[in-house]
Amino acid sequence: MSEHRHDLHDCSSVIEQVYAFHDHELSAEEADEIREHLMACEPCLDRFQVEEAMRMLIRRCCREDLAPDGLRVRIQASFTSTEAETE
Amino acid sequence: MNLPTLPDQEVAVPAFSETDAELSARFEVEALPFLDQLYGAALRMTRNPADAEDVVQEAYAKAFASFRQFTPGTNLKAWLYRILTNTFINSYRKRQRQPQTSGQEVEDWQLARAESHTSDGLRSAEMEALDRMPHSAVTEAMNALPADFRLAVYLADVEGFSYKEIAEIMGTPIGTVMSRLNRGRTQLRNRLADFAVEQGLIDRSRDE
Repeated sequence: MSEHRHDLHDCSSVIEQVYAFHDHELSAEEADEIREHLMACEPCLDRFQVEEAMRMLIRRCCREDLAPDGLRVRIQASFTSTEAETE
Repeated sequence: MNLPTLPDQEVAVPAFSETDAELSARFEVEALPFLDQLYGAALRMTRNPADAEDVVQEAYAKAFASFRQFTPGTNLKAWLYRILTNTFINSYRKRQRQPQTSGQEVEDWQLARAESHTSDGLRSAEMEALDRMPHSAVTEAMNALPADFRLAVYLADVEGFSYKEIAEIMGTPIGTVMSRLNRGRTQLRNRLADFAVEQGLIDRSRDE
C-alpha cells in the first residue's frame, strides 16, 4: 500500500472506470489496476460501494413490474392461433 | 468475477421439417419466459402500462413471425430485446399517446444541471438511505432520463447486458453506448442522491 501511487490523476481516472469495472468490461490488467487503487484509496472505495448499492436498488425496483395476465394470454393466443399461416 | 453472460438456451436444434405447430410450441417454451422482463423494459421505454403492453405485444408478434430465421443456440434474449427496441423506436415513438415532456427534448441546461453534482453523490456511510428509498423514487428518476440514456441504463443495470450486446440491441456503436451509460447513470445517481437529501433520508446538516 505504501508504494501505491496516489494522486488526483489516479482518482479521476478511477472514477471514470468504476462503471466499466462494475460492468466487467475492463481487461484483466485494467481491472487489477482499479482493484489495487480501491484497496489503497478510501474515497474511491467509498464511491465504488455506493455504486454497487445503487445498482442493487435500481435492479430491485425495476424488476418489480410483472406483465399483466391479460397480456400473456393475448400473446399466447396470437401465436397459437396463427400457427397455420406463419410467414 | 465473470462477465454477466446469459445462460445458453437449451434448445433442441429444430428438424428441417419443423411444423408450424412445433414452431409455435418451441416459441412458447423459449420466448414466452422473457415476457416479464420485456414488459419491464417496455414500461421504462414508454413510461405507461397501456403503451408498454402494446409494444410488447407487437414485438412478440414480430418475433414469432421471424422465429424460423432465428438461429438456435444464439442469444435469444438479446434478439428479443432488439426486436422490442426496434418496435419501440420505429412504431411507437411515431404514435405516442402522451406528449413526452422529458424525453429527447431535455434542455441543455437541465442536462448540465443533472450532471453537475458528480462530486456530491452519496457516501457509503449514507447507503442505508437507499434501503428507505421508495421504489417510485427510482422509477421516477429513471423516467426523467432522456429516452436513449434510460434504455442504455436499463439494459446494463437491470438486465446486465454487455456493452457489445447493448450496442447491437440499440443499433449504435459501442462508444455511443458507453457515453449514454455514463451520462445516464450519472444523472440517475445524482437524482437519487438529491432525492435522499431532499426527503431527509440522509442528514447533511452537520456538513460544511
